[in-house]
Amino acid sequence: MHPAGLAAAAAGTPRLRKWPSKRRIPVSQPGMADPHQLFDDTSSAQSRGYRAQQAASGLGYPATSTLPQAAFLADPVSNMAMAYGSSLAAQGKELVDKNIDRFIPVTKLKYYFAVDTVYVGKKLGLLVFPYLHQDWEVQYQQDTPVAPRFDVNAPDLYIPAMAFITYILVAGLALGTQDRFSPDLLGLQASSALAWLALEVVAILLSLYLVTVNTDLTTIDLVAFLGYKYVGMIGGVLMGLLFGKMGYYLVLGWCCVSIFVFMIRTLRLKILAQAAAEGVPVRGARNQLRMYLTMAVAAAQPLLMYWLTFHLVR
Amino acid sequence: MAFTLYSLLQAALLCVNAIAVLHEERFLKNIGWGTDQGIGGFGEEPGIKSQLMNLIRSVRTVMRVPLIIVNSVAIVLLLLFG
Repeated sequence: MHPAGLAAAAAGTPRLRKWPSKRRIPVSQPGMADPHQLFDDTSSAQSRGYRAQQAASGLGYPATSTLPQAAFLADPVSNMAMAYGSSLAAQGKELVDKNIDRFIPVTKLKYYFAVDTVYVGKKLGLLVFPYLHQDWEVQYQQDTPVAPRFDVNAPDLYIPAMAFITYILVAGLALGTQDRFSPDLLGLQASSALAWLALEVVAILLSLYLVTVNTDLTTIDLVAFLGYKYVGMIGGVLMGLLFGKMGYYLVLGWCCVSIFVFMIRTLRLKILAQAAAEGVPVRGARNQLRMYLTMAVAAAQPLLMYWLTFHLVR
Repeated sequence: MAFTLYSLLQAALLCVNAIAVLHEERFLKNIGWGTDQGIGGFGEEPGIKSQLMNLIRSVRTVMRVPLIIVNSVAIVLLLLFG
């Protein structure tokens, strides 16, 4: 956060707040699992017993083997070959595990998939009806954002990924009902939607760089936010299949307006300076530019929703 | 609506080529976008124009060699597969 800009903003508002007010949840809260843990612990005695059995009957020279291929394994040469092969595989797996984190941030991705059914339900409701929701800030836990399953405002990648795949399937269904289906069209729809997504992400990152916004909006966050529009698209196409063009326009119009409001309310907290996000209009070219950027991003969503679905509904 | 990932890559390659081709002395200086003409004071937030000029300069510096490789690959692919 730029100190000069913040000081000016803080001086202009009655409330003196230097940093975005991060709501901290107390670490020990009854009824909530340890927030540091993203996923539930499912290791149990069953898996330990299975591993023990595997180790006993696996490598080495088993005299009495319980494996069905006992005759095959009694031959000492193939025993050695199997031992060598499995040690090679273990080494390769270690190498991959060590280096995968350099190319794909696996641990960061895990955060975005730590969801549960309650969160998904609430988030889907929020995507189609964001008008009653009051508090749009993400809760923080000692400076790291809380996992999505504990906070409905946190972005996740589960809904966008599932919605994307469902969109491809629904597009195939729509094309099939019009006798225009062929399997390679599915791949074409998928790569087309992915290409538009990539283009959007690059355009928004470029404009964020040009406007020098100091934000904690990461690329994966951006992908998550841009992926939420697939939910509205699915709804529109399904209604179009059931009720024809009128149903399609009605539902798509409703979802477009909802996504517009949702994006503005979410991005406002991330892109705009703290003072403006609290509702106090701050004069200044920078904040105005940021407001325009937020509105442009939000306005691009309905356009893309229409563009990607209108050829599916006849 | 045949907007595939490959056409997006081709479009991106053409755009980066366009940025890399802008000549410093013959063109950018004449329209006031040279690299020594845009530096604002320290502590001031850079405006859009200086960010753009920085971007152009960094693209030209960083992408010079990779662009040669990627362009050659694209030419070979286009020749072979049309």
